[in-house]
Amino acid sequence: MKPVSASPLSPSVKVKLLNAGFLTSEELLQLKPLQLSKEGGLSLEEALEVQQILREGVDLPGEGGAGLGSTALELLQQEERSIVTFCSSLDAALGGGVPVGKTTELCGTPGMGKTQLCLQLCIDVQIPECFGGLGGEAVFVDTEGSLVAQRVADMAQAAVQHCCLQDQDAEQRDALKDFTTESLLGHLYLMRCHDYVELLAQVQLLPDFLVKNPKVRLLVIDSLAFPFRRHFEDLSVRTRLLSGLAQQLIRMASQHRVAVVWTNQMTSQLRGGQWELVPALGESWGHSATQRLLLHWSGGRRLASVFKSPSQSESSVAYSVTREGFRDAGPLASSPSGREQDSSSQSESRQVSSSQSGSKRPRTQEGQ
Amino acid sequence: MSIEQLELNPRIIKAVNNANIGVARDILKFSGPDLQRLTRLSASDVHHLQTAVAALFCKKTPVSALQLYRGECPEWDCGLRVSLGCPVLDGVLRGGLLPWGLTELAGPSGAGKSQLAMQLCLSVQYPVQYGGLGSGALYICTEDSFPIRRLKQLQNEQPSLRSDVPPDVVSSICFSDNIYVEHAADLVGYSGAEGRCRNKLVPVLLAQGRVRLLVVDSVAALFRSEFQADQGLERSRHLTAFATALHKLSASYQLPILCVNQVTDVMEGDSNHDAGLRPVDSKVVPALGMAWANQVMVRLMVTRLPGAVSMGTQSSARRRLEVVFAPHLARDSCLFGVWREGTRGLPSPPTQDTSS
Repeated sequence: MKPVSASPLSPSVKVKLLNAGFLTSEELLQLKPLQLSKEGGLSLEEALEVQQILREGVDLPGEGGAGLGSTALELLQQEERSIVTFCSSLDAALGGGVPVGKTTELCGTPGMGKTQLCLQLCIDVQIPECFGGLGGEAVFVDTEGSLVAQRVADMAQAAVQHCCLQDQDAEQRDALKDFTTESLLGHLYLMRCHDYVELLAQVQLLPDFLVKNPKVRLLVIDSLAFPFRRHFEDLSVRTRLLSGLAQQLIRMASQHRVAVVWTNQMTSQLRGGQWELVPALGESWGHSATQRLLLHWSGGRRLASVFKSPSQSESSVAYSVTREGFRDAGPLASSPSGREQDSSSQSESRQVSSSQSGSKRPRTQEGQ
Repeated sequence: MSIEQLELNPRIIKAVNNANIGVARDILKFSGPDLQRLTRLSASDVHHLQTAVAALFCKKTPVSALQLYRGECPEWDCGLRVSLGCPVLDGVLRGGLLPWGLTELAGPSGAGKSQLAMQLCLSVQYPVQYGGLGSGALYICTEDSFPIRRLKQLQNEQPSLRSDVPPDVVSSICFSDNIYVEHAADLVGYSGAEGRCRNKLVPVLLAQGRVRLLVVDSVAALFRSEFQADQGLERSRHLTAFATALHKLSASYQLPILCVNQVTDVMEGDSNHDAGLRPVDSKVVPALGMAWANQVMVRLMVTRLPGAVSMGTQSSARRRLEVVFAPHLARDSCLFGVWREGTRGLPSPPTQDTSS
C-alpha cells in the first residue's frame, strides 16, 4: 500500500491527485481510467499513464526502500565483511579492511601509492572466501591513464603465489584451481573516462552494470579529483556536480553492497601565513566519504593515516609498495623483491615510535 | 550533441526542449529530482533520459583487465614502450617510456635532460621491434636555440649507439626529416584557450600519425617569467589549462609527451610537503609545485654527481637517472654518462650509490 506521494509519478500529476484527495496507489488503481481522469482533474492520457506506471511497479534507483523500517539490529546482522589490503597493520587500523557498503577516500600527494592500493584492493576482493576474502569482482574507473596492464598482472601473480604458499585444506585447494592470474585479470572490469562529463555519464550507467554483474563488490575511481580540477568558471557548479556525484556513489555503495573507493589529490592552502597541504575538491567534499585515509611521508617512510572514520580511531601505520604490490613496511634494501630505496634502514624501535607519535593531521577547513 | 539524437519517446524530448536545458551534456549536470522538476516528467522517464544521455558519452563497453593485458585494446594500453636507446636506461623504466600520458624529466641545468630528450626523438623513429614507434617527433623548444649541431652529431653516431639494430635499418631512417622543431616563447599563448597549437601544421602532423612523440623543453621556463609570486592563482590556472591541453592531445592521438622541467631548491621546514615529489635525499625539487606534480603521471629526475666516468677513450661527468614516481615502476635509479654517441647508462648496481 504505497502512498501517492511516494509513487514514481511526475510532480505535477502527483499534486493534482493529492489535491483531489487520493492517498494511496490502490485507490488510483481501483478506478477506471475515465473516472480517474474526471475525479483527479487529469486528461485521459495522463490517467492511463498513471495506471500503467503504478501497475508496472517500476523500481527505480533511489526508490528501492531496502532500508525502510529495518532496525539497527538487522543492520548489524547484515553488516558486510571488509576487503583486506595485504598490509596487516592497515587492516587492523581500518577494523578489518576497506568496508563494503561504505565509501572510502584515499588522499595523498602524487607517488604515495594511492593507485597501488586501489589495484591491490581490486585483486584482494577476488580472493576466495575460504581464504578470508570476498570472492567478488571489481570495477576500476580510470580517469588519469595510470593503469598499466603489466603492473596489474604482476600484482595478480604475486597474490596467487601468496595464497598458494599458505597452508591449505581440501576446500582451499579446490578454490585455488580457479584462482589464477588470468581469472583475477578477467574479473577486473575497466572503464576509462577522459573528462568529468564522461565520468558523470559513466557513474550514471554504473547501477545498471552492477545489476548485470551482481558479483561486483568493489568500485574504484582513480582519480576522482583529476577531471574536476580543471578550470570551472563557476565553482558552485563544480560543488553541485560533486555533491550529486557523491550521492550517487553513496547510494550505489549501500544499495548494491559494494565498497566504493576513490582517490583525491592534495592541494596547498595558505593558512595563518603558512602553506599547508589539504585534500583537494574543497571543504564540502570532505563530508562525502564515510572514511578517509591519508597517505603521506613522515621521516623518510610512508605512512597511512585514518583521519576520518565513524568506527575507527585515528591512527597511522607504516606501509610500503613493492613489486608484489601494497604491503606492510618491512626491512628494505636486502630483499630482492622490494626495490624500495627510500625507507631508511633504521632500527625497529624507531619505526614503532614514529608511527604512533604525531602524524601530521591534515587540515580540512578552508580559511575563508 | 542535441537532444533529438537520443532514442527516446518524442514526448520526453518535447518536455526536455520545453525546459530549455540546452545541449545533451547539460542533462548530466542535473540530478534526478531536479530534472523531474524542470521537465515535469515522471521519475521513470527521467531515468530513461539520463541513461540515454549517459550512453551517448560512454560509447565504449567496459573491458576486462585480461583483455587489456592480452593487447586486445590497443587504444588504451598497447603494451609498447618507447626505448631510450640504451638497455641500462630502459631497465630503470622497465622497457622505456609509456606511449601515453605525461612523463616529466626534471633536473638542474647540465644534467643531461635535453640530451635524453633528443635521444628519444631519434629512438622513437625505429620500428616497433627495436623499441620505437615507427614515427617522428615534435620538439617544442622554449630555450633560445635548439642544439641542432648536437642533434646532427647524435644522428651520425646512431649506428654505434644502437648496435642492437641492423645497420641497414639504421641507415634507412632519415632521422632529421622526422623531427619537427617548434620555437615557442610563450607556452600559454602557444596552446591557446582551446588547447590548439598556434601552428596549424601540428594537428595535421598528429592526425596523419607522422609524429608519435611530443617533447616540451622546458615547461618551467615560460611560467617563471610570465607571472610574479603574488599571481600564484593565475599561474596555477594557466598551468592547469596547459596541462589539460596536453592531456587532451595525448588521449586523442595516443601520444607520449615528455616534459622537461627545471628544479628549485628545497626550503628548510618544507621538507614534508613535497617529500613525495622528489627523491628522499634530494636538495632540489622539480619546479612548478604541487599543481604541476598532480598532472604528471611519471616523474623522472636526473642529477649531476661529483666525479667522472670513462668509457673507452671518452670521459663524462657522472650522472644519475632516477624514478621519483610512476604507476608501474619502482623507485629505481642508474648512473649514466653523456658521450659522443649519446646517453648511455652505466651497468653498475644502483644500490651502491646513495650519495647525491
